[in-house]
Amino acid sequence: MFRSMLRGLLTHKLRLALSALAVILGTMFMSGAFVAGDTFAQGFTALFSTVNRDIDVEVTAKDTSPGGQNAQLGTPTALLDQQDVDTVQKVDGVAKTTPGVYSAGARLIGSDGKVVGGNGPPQQGIAWQDQDPLIQLRQGRPPQAANEIAINQGLSTDSGFGLGQTANVITLEPPTPYTIVGIFGFPGDRPSLAGETTVAFTLAQAQRVLLNAPGKFTSIDVTAASGVSDDTLRDRIAAALPDDVVRTGAQVAEEQQSATSSFVNILKTGLVVFALIGMFTGAFLIFNTFSMLVAQRTRELALYRSFGASRGQVNRSVLLESVLLGLAASIVGLALGILVGYILNKALQAFIDASLPVSGVVVRAYAVLTTLAVGTAFTVVAALIPALRASRVPPIAAMRDAVTPDKPLTRLTVAGAVILAAGGLLLGLGVAHVGDLPTWLTLGIGAALTFLGVALLAPIISRPLTTAAGKAFAWSVPGRLGARNTGRNPRRTAVTAAALMIGVALATGAGVFAQSAKAGISNAFERDVNAQLAVTTSFSQGPGANAGFPPELEQTMAALPGVSAAVALRTDTVNLNGSDRFVLAGDAQAASTIFNLKPVAGNVRELDPGEVLLDQDTADALRLGVGDRVTMRTARAAPVTLDVVGIFKPNQAISSSLISSADAGGFRSPFAQQGFVQVANDSQVPQVRAELDRLFANNPEVTVNDQSQLIDQANSFVDILLGIVNTLLALTIIVAVLGVVNTLLLSVFERTRELGLIRAVGMSRAQVGRMITVESVLISVFGALLGIVIGVGLGVAIVKALGDEFLSLTVPWGYLLITLALAIVAGAIAAVLPAIRAARLNVLQAIAYE
Amino acid sequence: MDAAGRTVLVRPDHDLFTRGNQVTASDPVAARADDVWKVYGSGEAEVIALRGVSVTFQRGVFTAIMGPSGSGKSTLMHCLAGLDSVTRGEVHIGETRVTGLGDSGLTKLRRDKVGFIFQQFNLLPTLSAKENILLPLSIAGRKPDDAWFDTVIKTVALQDRLGHRPAQLSGGQQQRVACARALVARPEVIFADEPTGNLDSKSGADVLGFLRDSVKTYGQTIVMVTHDPVAASYADRVIFLADGAVVDELSDPTPDMVLDRMKRLDNPAEVAR
Repeated sequence: MFRSMLRGLLTHKLRLALSALAVILGTMFMSGAFVAGDTFAQGFTALFSTVNRDIDVEVTAKDTSPGGQNAQLGTPTALLDQQDVDTVQKVDGVAKTTPGVYSAGARLIGSDGKVVGGNGPPQQGIAWQDQDPLIQLRQGRPPQAANEIAINQGLSTDSGFGLGQTANVITLEPPTPYTIVGIFGFPGDRPSLAGETTVAFTLAQAQRVLLNAPGKFTSIDVTAASGVSDDTLRDRIAAALPDDVVRTGAQVAEEQQSATSSFVNILKTGLVVFALIGMFTGAFLIFNTFSMLVAQRTRELALYRSFGASRGQVNRSVLLESVLLGLAASIVGLALGILVGYILNKALQAFIDASLPVSGVVVRAYAVLTTLAVGTAFTVVAALIPALRASRVPPIAAMRDAVTPDKPLTRLTVAGAVILAAGGLLLGLGVAHVGDLPTWLTLGIGAALTFLGVALLAPIISRPLTTAAGKAFAWSVPGRLGARNTGRNPRRTAVTAAALMIGVALATGAGVFAQSAKAGISNAFERDVNAQLAVTTSFSQGPGANAGFPPELEQTMAALPGVSAAVALRTDTVNLNGSDRFVLAGDAQAASTIFNLKPVAGNVRELDPGEVLLDQDTADALRLGVGDRVTMRTARAAPVTLDVVGIFKPNQAISSSLISSADAGGFRSPFAQQGFVQVANDSQVPQVRAELDRLFANNPEVTVNDQSQLIDQANSFVDILLGIVNTLLALTIIVAVLGVVNTLLLSVFERTRELGLIRAVGMSRAQVGRMITVESVLISVFGALLGIVIGVGLGVAIVKALGDEFLSLTVPWGYLLITLALAIVAGAIAAVLPAIRAARLNVLQAIAYE
Repeated sequence: MDAAGRTVLVRPDHDLFTRGNQVTASDPVAARADDVWKVYGSGEAEVIALRGVSVTFQRGVFTAIMGPSGSGKSTLMHCLAGLDSVTRGEVHIGETRVTGLGDSGLTKLRRDKVGFIFQQFNLLPTLSAKENILLPLSIAGRKPDDAWFDTVIKTVALQDRLGHRPAQLSGGQQQRVACARALVARPEVIFADEPTGNLDSKSGADVLGFLRDSVKTYGQTIVMVTHDPVAASYADRVIFLADGAVVDELSDPTPDMVLDRMKRLDNPAEVAR
């Protein structure tokens, strides 16, 4: 019986192919995410094992500075000295020690005047090591003088500077010219390990410009004598240096690996979530297809029943069909996903400017199994209800014409209303932060229930809505007929539209969120930043990253003609009374003017050395008041005690405590990261700007912006995020559009006779095509409208739930209109194939068959 | 019931009707087939459906095409209506040469010159009776002639049913809607394919009577394919097909005459005689 039923399955190839395509797309995306993530991670594994290959044991100092490893900028502060090297050397079983200097803070300015690299892999500076097995000198010689450097092959290519040329390098010193005396590469003929740039200085120069600590090192690499295991040696060294961090090379590789794998996992999870949303949408399509197939095969199924097939057999055979379909589609999806994974991995590397040492793809067993299981499960679950319906076909249906009476929608509507109410309630709870569940979970479940509820309510809404929308097409006969057809099978129209609704709702929600964020950012700038000009430095991170400008330029800026106030802000994580806090250093008087600082207690005024202005949050957390004293420990200087002279209300621009520049000597970076300049008279802004440009002309990491540029920068970040989200949602939308195609193809098939008739009474092919297009557009617009309404609701809920002051609730009407317009376009595209089918219909066959 | 046990349709004796619309030699031709051949398949599987059929349909005449199953009567009608192409020969409707027309030409032909009535009614379920009737006109973008519309509606007695959907109408009513749909555009020819095949005898008689009246009173040309002698007897002229060729013809038939010819057709020896 199964075999004969399967033959029935294969007779509906096109429709099955479309629902299979939905599963294929979902599984492809999912396995692509797995494969790309695993391959990417494998690249890092290979990289770190290469880097640490020749290290038996590595010694580093424990970072006890405020913020420690989490401090994202500045200069390495956990340092070792010659005495440590000597101690290690004396440990039994040590064959060789190699003290090293490493910092991610050496930026070479290329021949185009811009800093090379910095988009992902570190811009590292090291002390040249003669016998470093990792570094292979390709041209020239090692640096021997303070003004000589060797650079890696990749950096030479990217910067356009070769042997013997002079290049400016930014370190803890402003741009300084160095002569390139050597060019080196890495094992395997690689120009870099993974796209990073490396500048090698002499040891003394490296200690000075990378660490600002003569005679210090960042690590000691140890080679074990033969016969001594790494672990044994590690334990012995650890005993000799109890205050330092001693790890085997393998441990180091593992730790570096785990740091990147958490990033890779976040990436993977994100992609998989979008794949699941796509599959969820695909489930609607599969549900629709199976419902239609079952409806069309009523006679056939009844025949089986009249031959004695049990309900269970019919039920199982339909489910078996879905298993086979799901499995087959998942296998195809997996195969394509591996290809996608390969491409995605390359794209990821290109995106972060890296070239990881990995070739081919990594396909792990879990990726294969999860993809196949999820793809099949979605298909089977979606086919459950149609399978049940199939089993309920009575044998008598074989004897009479298949009549599908319009079942009342009451039960569906009641269920939908209840589920929608539950979803709405959860969203409300999420917004109000009520309940034990985390807010994101409450909102997530609320959103899912809302989708389901609306999908169930959609049939009852579809008729009036499509009728109303159909009025727009009432002027033409094809339009009128198309509109009527849309309202004809409300369940099918609704399920098809509901699939589209999901993608549109999520895109709309993201749009509302993004627009609110942008509005919030603009508001914050306008309210809290009274400066026409800002000095910003390029974003960089990692130990040693320290882009900025000398803080003394604060006075220079303030003294420029036309400037009424100027502040240069230095930032670092320090420790206040035992608590790690982010603080700012700069001219408090100017900051107060520019950022509208409102005193809560004491005075907000210019600070003398030894004084601090606390933001209210810090003051409350540390229970400090005006007149109290607070101990500040920095990364590089001895602790100092500060008098609290005032407490201010934090705002969007300044939410950290302020100290005087004189007390910032212990900050990791010697530089100021941001500057703000208030010009008394707007007409003088261009002139001041020109002066500032001149002031920072030699440093490509420093840019002068006006306020609108600053807002644009912040907004462009939001736009990029929104763009990524929408790109990922495209998968969901494509699946939904496939659903529209599927439904229309089925309609065309079912209405062969009708189409034949209207052709017989004089409708042209073009008119038939238009009729189908109207149907398609109406379904799409219906789905888009549902999606937009829910999406706005979701967006509002999220914005309210986060309640962040950086979010100012704004509905992006233009974006919504574009979404609607895109839905119309998508509907028109979805109609192409069914319309061609309908128009190609052989009139004679359509009306003549008995 | 007649002697053969067949229900005799209740109808006025057509001989009592005036012959005002009777065909004369000078009447223009509404449709014509010249040496039409229709061959399906090729080689071993070749089936010749029509072998050199030449037939002329005068304007204002109700013609029935009869013949046993497989005689080619439906094929002839499909070829005449431009629904199917001919292998050889030519088909004309009015002044229009149907043979060789492309899809847009055929579409225009169906819009302006041809009406259809089907056995399965073929109404659009989403449209009301009135909308179904006016569908060909609205597709063609033509304004209905209100007076003519009213006349047609009155004739088919659908005044009270105009707002109903097909699902709310009986089979006879549906077929009357289909007739009205074919008539309201006043086409050159109406092709009716077994129009009473799905109707009970009373409804069938209504529909046939209405078709004949439209010929007599308004000069409509109708070509009807049927295998029912009683239905054929409503026509002015019956053409008999067998094996893809016209084998006989009757004017002003009665059911018995038609039945008699059909019996002979089923017996080839008699045909040969």
